[in-house]
Amino acid sequence: METIRVKNFTFKYPLAETEALRDISFDVNESEFIVLCGKSGCGKSTLLRQMKKNLIPYGHSEGEVLYMGAPVSELDDRVSAAEIGFVQQNPENQIVTDKVWHELAFGLESLGFSNKAIKRRVAEMASYFGIQSWFRKNVSELSGGQKQLLNLASIMAMQPKLLILDEPTSQLDPIAASEFLRTIHKINRDLGTTVIISEHRLEEAFTIADKAIVMDQGRIIAYDTPRKIGGFLAGDDSQEPHPMFYGMPSVLRIFASAGVREHTPLTIREGRIRLEKMLSEVPKAPHEMLMPRVTEEDKKVKKDECALFMKDVWFRYSQHGSDVLSGLDLTVRKGQWYCLLGGNGVGKSTTLKCISGVEKPQRGKVICDLKMAMLPQDPQALFTEITCEEELAEALYYEKISDEVKIEKAEAMLRLMEIEHLRKANPYDLSGGEQQRLALGKILLLEPEMLLLDEPTKGLDPFFKRTLAGILRKLTDGGVTIFMVSHDIEFCAEYADMCAMFFDGNVISVEKPHDFFAGNSFYTTTANKLVREWKPDAVTCEEVSTWLNTVI
Amino acid sequence: MITRDGLGEDTEFARFHPLVSFMYFALAIGITMFSMSVIFLSVTFVCSWIYSVLLKGVAGAKENLIFTVSTLVIMALINTFFTHNGATVLFYINNNRITMEAFVYGICAAVMLVSVIIWFSCFNVIMTADKLIYLFGKAAPVLGLTMSMIFRFIPLLKNRFKAISMGQRGMGREKAATFTGKARQLTKETSILIAWSLESSIESADSMEARGYGLRGRTSFNLFKLSERDILMLAVMAVLGGICIYGCVTGITGMYYYPEIEWPKADLATALTAACYAVLLLLPAAVDIIGEIRWKRYA
Repeated sequence: METIRVKNFTFKYPLAETEALRDISFDVNESEFIVLCGKSGCGKSTLLRQMKKNLIPYGHSEGEVLYMGAPVSELDDRVSAAEIGFVQQNPENQIVTDKVWHELAFGLESLGFSNKAIKRRVAEMASYFGIQSWFRKNVSELSGGQKQLLNLASIMAMQPKLLILDEPTSQLDPIAASEFLRTIHKINRDLGTTVIISEHRLEEAFTIADKAIVMDQGRIIAYDTPRKIGGFLAGDDSQEPHPMFYGMPSVLRIFASAGVREHTPLTIREGRIRLEKMLSEVPKAPHEMLMPRVTEEDKKVKKDECALFMKDVWFRYSQHGSDVLSGLDLTVRKGQWYCLLGGNGVGKSTTLKCISGVEKPQRGKVICDLKMAMLPQDPQALFTEITCEEELAEALYYEKISDEVKIEKAEAMLRLMEIEHLRKANPYDLSGGEQQRLALGKILLLEPEMLLLDEPTKGLDPFFKRTLAGILRKLTDGGVTIFMVSHDIEFCAEYADMCAMFFDGNVISVEKPHDFFAGNSFYTTTANKLVREWKPDAVTCEEVSTWLNTVI
Repeated sequence: MITRDGLGEDTEFARFHPLVSFMYFALAIGITMFSMSVIFLSVTFVCSWIYSVLLKGVAGAKENLIFTVSTLVIMALINTFFTHNGATVLFYINNNRITMEAFVYGICAAVMLVSVIIWFSCFNVIMTADKLIYLFGKAAPVLGLTMSMIFRFIPLLKNRFKAISMGQRGMGREKAATFTGKARQLTKETSILIAWSLESSIESADSMEARGYGLRGRTSFNLFKLSERDILMLAVMAVLGGICIYGCVTGITGMYYYPEIEWPKADLATALTAACYAVLLLLPAAVDIIGEIRWKRYA
């Protein structure tokens, strides 16, 4: 029997003009791994929430959603709680209790298990998920990745048959995200739990999934194996690819646009093997090109061209703590889009704090005469008003200009951020991407000459990332300097002016994106990893695709 | 045995079941509050000092000393100058009798207050949040869960508030110099915190319900195990505590200060009760010291 069967399902939110879901039909068999993808706001979350009884949103629905043959809305509460697990986006908000072990036991307590039974189940879960070493810790001491893993383990303790995950990795850094996805894969493989997951990061999810569902504007436009999806979305050579094509993993996109429609490779390994066959005629790049080069630092920046100048900056959080920044030197030119890349906990965010003046370095110089504004990681940290337009106007509260001018400026910003249709909406009702836009708009109304961004692409779908890049590029063209801290290699490679590798409290290398990624061998884009041996200076998907089309 | 920072919350006695620790403090504090006899006051005062120095070390002792001396002086003075009962007049001020009884009573009441407070400071060290949550959860599962959620939310709100302040500084809203400016900024930050937390609590509620919160027959899980030595300890404390409570009821632990001080009798019953009381109060300290010695030998 199908675990989930959706038949001709249509759903409309109260007061909404259009349906959120239109005529959706699909089956999910037992133990399948299904990836759900699509733009933000295309109805993914609405669809997933139909499958868990207590999360079904209010609204008008037609058709049916069946779990093991019975309508989800009529399931017994106990069955629904125990057999269908649901993991949400935000790791922080799902945790209820103060201790890791208590959180693990929460669901089992609800089901009324005895102390002994819970102890046994909790022990099993902690061992399976590798939680033993932090079993007795306070949840506030955990990292974001650990928190989301705890949420998952706490649901798995109830041994659900169906696991639904709504963009579970969107708030995690890439390393934690891939560890989380590996755990989901392990659960699916070892326990046979049916998994339905919505994701933006498809690079890894596609290699695991049995099938992928692609949604657009409340409809399912494709439901097939990941290998076939790419070819389908790329369309025939005569027509433009479907917009969703740009959300596909790099490897898939590169091969699909090179005309590979059958058995499209998904991983870099598969891609390399295929390329070896396809490019047997093409000579490989000389070995010297792959060696890391030592570049001369850009020391000739004149004073009036310099937006930010950091010299020999040392910083630590406490007297006996270790140095977070150790002799950091950094120069950013005016009108430059500068990206600081690096792993977790190497001091990227601390650098940002020192620049913005939130923290004072113990030694060294930080010189920046420009008017600064910083976009925090959590856009919610800025929201004070009940509608988006008021929210934007709030940014101008202290400005000495007339109310008409304020309204005009807020109006213009709504248009620039493409959120005019949301002017009356409450900031908290917006999706993650829209909140990010609103917060950015608010910051931009302050008309900063230097914009500091902390992980601006976190939780954004690939489509809005393109829009965001457009907005930021317009700003730098207008003379604004952008300093950005990010994990997002692909984004920085495609759009930044300068990329810097940050490690151990210091900048290790600064170069233009091309030279930067061509010089790295692990820390580089998927597209570059794929074709390094032949063309080490091709970094973005588009470059690799065009190059491939010229050689074959 | 006396260390700079004390043994802290990881002592041998703290490893007993929470019921044991709870019963100990209930008896120690309860009996202290009902005994005004100088014998019993000295016993509880000395024992509370011993235990607190053991737990909190030299740093804790300094704090205790300052607190003890100041309370003693203030209470003795207040009682001497404002209470005029008592037969033994020392001298007169403005026709007001200053008596020896009032002075002694002031000192003794101060000793009791200081002892109770020192016992509570030890309670604070030993009874960690999870033990309290367990005990409350035993009384009512909802109460235990609520406490656990509160302990979860305190650090969460702190971090959020930090993020908000940083966000505001990132917008160039520096800390204003004027009082009204400061107040306005603080109000704004607080209102953001409240809105953010309320919105996110909707998700928490969803996550609770998704994991079956609200089904009938909820249980309360804990990691504590009532072992034989816990039961033995409970029994010993029950016997010793029972004798002391009997003493309270029959008035052995009390004494009269007015109109004339009636010093407690040195009979067998008093000696026996006081001995039981001392043994009861010194139990944890003894357990801890034995634990430390054993560990040293083992290592």
